[in-house]
Amino acid sequence: MTTGTRTVDPVTISVIQGALENIAVEMGYRLMRMSYSSIIRESEDFGAGLVDAAGRGLAESAQSTPLQSGPIPGYIKGINRIMAARGEVVRPGDVIMHNDAYSGASHGPDVAFMVPVFHGERLIAWAGTTAHHLDIGSLTPGSCGIVDAMDAYAEGLQFKAIKVYEEGRRVPQVWQILRDNIRVSDLVVGDMEAQIAAARIGAKRFEELMARYGVETLEAACEGAMDHAERLMRNAIAKLPDGDYTATTYIDGFLDSPDPKKKALPLVVTLRVRGEEIEVDLTGTADQIDDAPINMPLVGTADIAIWLTIRSVLLDTAVHGHIPVNEGLTRPIKLTVPEGCLANPIFPAPTIARFCPGNQLADTVMKALAQAAPHNVSAGIGNLKVIAFSGLNAGQHWVHMEIFEGSYGGRPGMDGMDAVDTLYANTRNNPIEDIETHLPLRVSRYELREDVVGAGKWRGGLGSVREFEYLADGGASVEGEGHGFAPWGFDGGAEGKPAELRLVPPTGADPRELPSKVPHMRIKAGDIFRCVGPAGGGYGNPLERDPQAVLDDVLDGLISAETAKTAFGVVVSGDGTVDSAATDSLRAAT
Amino acid sequence: MRLIGVDVGGTFTDLVYTDTDEGRTVIHKTPTTTGDPSRGVIEGSLELCRRVGVDPASIDHLMHGTTIATNAVLEYDGSVTGMITTEGYRDVVHIGRHQRPQHYSIMQNIPWQDRPLVRRRHRKTVRERLIPPTGEVLIPLDEEGVRQAARELREAGVVAISICFLFSYLDPVHEDRAREIVLKEYPDCFVSTSSSLSPQFREFERFTTAAMNAFIGPKVRDYVGQLEGSMTASGIGSDLHVMGSNGGVATAAMVAEKPILTLLSGPAAGILGGYWSGELSGYRNLITFDVGGTSADIGLAVDGVFAEATARDTWIGGYPVLAPMMDIHTIGAGGGSIATVDAGGAFRVGPRSAGAQPGPAAYGHGGDKPTVTDAHVVLGRLDADNFLGGAMSLDGAAARRVIEGLAADLNLGVEETAAGVLTIINANMANAIRSRTVQKGHDPRDFALVAFGGAGPLHAADVADLLDIPTVLIPAYPGITSAVGLLTTDLKYDAIRTEFQVSGALDLTRLNTDFAAMEAQLSAQLAADKVDPAQVRFRRAGDLRYVGQGYELRVGFPESDLNQTAIAQVLADFAAAHEAEYGHAFPDSAVEIVNIRVTAIGSVPKIDPPTFGGGDSVEDATLRFGTTWFRTDGAVQAVDTPFLDRGRLPIDVLIQGPAVILQTDTTTVVPPDWHLRADAAGNLIITRGAPS
Repeated sequence: MTTGTRTVDPVTISVIQGALENIAVEMGYRLMRMSYSSIIRESEDFGAGLVDAAGRGLAESAQSTPLQSGPIPGYIKGINRIMAARGEVVRPGDVIMHNDAYSGASHGPDVAFMVPVFHGERLIAWAGTTAHHLDIGSLTPGSCGIVDAMDAYAEGLQFKAIKVYEEGRRVPQVWQILRDNIRVSDLVVGDMEAQIAAARIGAKRFEELMARYGVETLEAACEGAMDHAERLMRNAIAKLPDGDYTATTYIDGFLDSPDPKKKALPLVVTLRVRGEEIEVDLTGTADQIDDAPINMPLVGTADIAIWLTIRSVLLDTAVHGHIPVNEGLTRPIKLTVPEGCLANPIFPAPTIARFCPGNQLADTVMKALAQAAPHNVSAGIGNLKVIAFSGLNAGQHWVHMEIFEGSYGGRPGMDGMDAVDTLYANTRNNPIEDIETHLPLRVSRYELREDVVGAGKWRGGLGSVREFEYLADGGASVEGEGHGFAPWGFDGGAEGKPAELRLVPPTGADPRELPSKVPHMRIKAGDIFRCVGPAGGGYGNPLERDPQAVLDDVLDGLISAETAKTAFGVVVSGDGTVDSAATDSLRAAT
Repeated sequence: MRLIGVDVGGTFTDLVYTDTDEGRTVIHKTPTTTGDPSRGVIEGSLELCRRVGVDPASIDHLMHGTTIATNAVLEYDGSVTGMITTEGYRDVVHIGRHQRPQHYSIMQNIPWQDRPLVRRRHRKTVRERLIPPTGEVLIPLDEEGVRQAARELREAGVVAISICFLFSYLDPVHEDRAREIVLKEYPDCFVSTSSSLSPQFREFERFTTAAMNAFIGPKVRDYVGQLEGSMTASGIGSDLHVMGSNGGVATAAMVAEKPILTLLSGPAAGILGGYWSGELSGYRNLITFDVGGTSADIGLAVDGVFAEATARDTWIGGYPVLAPMMDIHTIGAGGGSIATVDAGGAFRVGPRSAGAQPGPAAYGHGGDKPTVTDAHVVLGRLDADNFLGGAMSLDGAAARRVIEGLAADLNLGVEETAAGVLTIINANMANAIRSRTVQKGHDPRDFALVAFGGAGPLHAADVADLLDIPTVLIPAYPGITSAVGLLTTDLKYDAIRTEFQVSGALDLTRLNTDFAAMEAQLSAQLAADKVDPAQVRFRRAGDLRYVGQGYELRVGFPESDLNQTAIAQVLADFAAAHEAEYGHAFPDSAVEIVNIRVTAIGSVPKIDPPTFGGGDSVEDATLRFGTTWFRTDGAVQAVDTPFLDRGRLPIDVLIQGPAVILQTDTTTVVPPDWHLRADAAGNLIITRGAPS
């Protein structure tokens, strides 16, 4: 591998690759442990990574969620562009804050702090962290479920490459603005400080690496590592049959809206596989919504969703082992996304609630890819939901964001994963014992959703049922997907089942059915949110499912004997065994 | 006092005998009896007694390191286990933290879903509910429901039951009562309650811990019982102690009840043994580096205090476990690690390993993949005719053949390729050490690296070089360090309570009362183990965090009752620990005491420091000269190198590298820019640079 006149041997590339990953992991470790908000430290909704001066990703931390680490290179490209346009120069000791969804940021609440690394006068790289902040000064408390933001300005503060430290000196005015305009600002500012501390450590380690190997060797090794990742992806794509593969799924949008343009919106993906490259074309996807925030930033959300799925299918970690994550992986993938569609909106269209649509886009890519790589995919995946719980306690805001789980579709040789975060999200729930100790909430149930299943030879993963009861008056807002459309079945498998959400009053009578998106509403003490997760789609003909596996699900109380019969053609006797003769004849007759 | 330490590994059972009155120590190695490891323990101990000429009945203590619990988890080979849990939360152990182990994978397994410790049909729920902050009863325990559940589980063939109620860490009353009912209904059942194992918050992790304890419980209980029976039957007079993950031993009875305490039995003993050796030469800041065929275990002692894992970092076989453990970082890097060129053309070493079978190509058992050991052979660092003291010969031609194949793929020279294999594996090992030192605020330059296991001494100096560690120590018996470690430990029990108290509003009386209650509980335990109260000491600590954070840092508490001055010191220590670990502190923020902990230590007799006479001269110790290859000035070059017999090295004579030191259980490499001396404590001390 050569850069200019410099040649780097494969040993050095391997060693430097490992060192870069180690630095990214250290940044993530520190951020996760220092941060205050449960959305960062428990849900792990943060990212950490190293990027070169041009904004090409070099390494990301293993702990963070893909939707956070993945966009970091895009943030840098956006910062570079903005600063060049303003004629500003980055200097040693600067720390830059950025959250502009139209310049690489994933969405407004995911604020990045970037620390530059210099060699003499020359900018070499950036160490950066992103994190989902509890509040960013939007119209209502919290930073999710802001589903009524009518433009980018309503979403909260916009930071377009703002220096919060200038050559090592804190810029107090900026910090004052943050304190004055953000709810729960102690927590949020504390988390921001943690982000900066973690990014600075990353920059320091990168400098140490530069001192050890010399800048030329280091840069050449980075080139080599990116070239390597690119070859891995090219080899993997080359194994797919050339062709065009199209798939469509639908997002709910706003199911309770009178405006037909705001609901049941198509996401259309066409993959054009040609040799070692793929073009991903989203033509046919619904137009952007000018005044509702489910538009997906192309750079920072839509691109991450697409890369995530292609990479998880073609270079699956469970199959291929550890794969370095850097810019090389994305080089053979070309994106064609019409301007003004949901996945490439035009400023100032709002984007703050793009989380679930983006995950649906990832699922749509898989549905298209399933035609080319049927043995490496799952059937349709159940989407997620986020609820921002909030309230006032003696004049102080409290905000808690909980991400609810979806489920995976059935997989060749394996059932779907039950009740997990899906695709580009991989966060964690908060322990019940932590929530109830620190917040006026009670988690009154957390179990699998019984007898609701995407039947298949390999059945879809099961959903969850989780209930939150308010112990004091408060508020909530909801952003989710998957109420209107069931996860798709594959290769003869049945569809999964949509998600549901109910608000149950203390009497238990007349629960209110809620759509997947609800702007901030007041909640009374004693009210219970009943959040029912989706069931993933089935893979393969359910009549071919091993009767013993069906029986196991019956014995485990996951499905009823009736469902075993109607959905799988398996007759379970009263003594808890499979009636083979009855099963054979039932299956033959179906 | 006569002591035996027995560490059962995958291949060998290592034994150490010591007589503390005579100051005599003898070591012994015997193949592990895989089907029933207790057989090897007994036979090995009897052989050892015969060799030293003592009556087995005269042995006072037998200290045992075992993988029986670990293997039951890793091989998913436990008992049919049930659970009784709070109504509404049947699937807490199935949903977990709703996070996938891998970000980028469709075809991954989720251990707690694909290999459940308790199948859903055996998870029964009963009505009961406690609420925070005090554990107040919101819903009383449905005792009839518990009885019914126990009956049903018994009929279903369950032999072990875990009782897992929400908030039981605040008050074990419901779990304890349920346990009574279950045992009344089903007296033979192995019952574990989550609050007795780990009374701290985080229900998924605590329930999983209880379920795992039940899953492995009958197996470990039977093993320990059988071993004790065989000891009696074969006339071994001693009592039995088993090494725990926390770096202390526990009685057989304790281990039979809480097998979860022994998951890192062997590796913990290794750290103790490594530390013991290092301290003999005056080092108390030590990084232990235990490298075998497939993995490297890394541990840390700072001024004689071992690093402990935080509760959120302890995992076994992909399951979280809330149990006190030494911080042992394991990576897939060892002598059998395989070097490959991947589909994208990158050069990788490990984590895949050729293991013991077929092993490296050099073993001649049909291994055809290039491994780290083969690279050592090609570079002349392993003596093909005198490997492991001549116990095994190596096939040098086979090693060269596989490295040549790799060299062709990489378009590099053979020696350069072999050196590259070592560079990459050493970098992986150095990164692992960095994660436990640099990344936690410790400067490796303040430490010595004590290397053991079959392959540790081959890599130690090169790894130390990468981290600027100035000194490497190789213990006298690097191949049986865990067995030695067993004879350096004390009885050690831990207690923990979740407090959730915030600075500024601390209830010192409650803290003092709780500390006292925990010490009373541990005292009773040690009294039951017949430990002289005069030989018992306590260590108090707490898990602290800034209010709002999710991760705690361990901070020592004073031994006496807390007052305002003492608590101010604790908070200052926390801020300092936070600054050291994360590079940042938040001086204005309130601090939450999440858990308080007490460790009780009951002193038991230990191995005495050995003294070594050594040989007369370097010339006498020199077996031969041979060609080895080292990277110097950027190029891999052949160097004429002395091969020295460790047993005949003169004491305190400085020897400039390069040198290769041979002994029966390992080979030590001293690179050209390092020098060594053997000291009277039995260590090889290898130091960077030329002798000054």
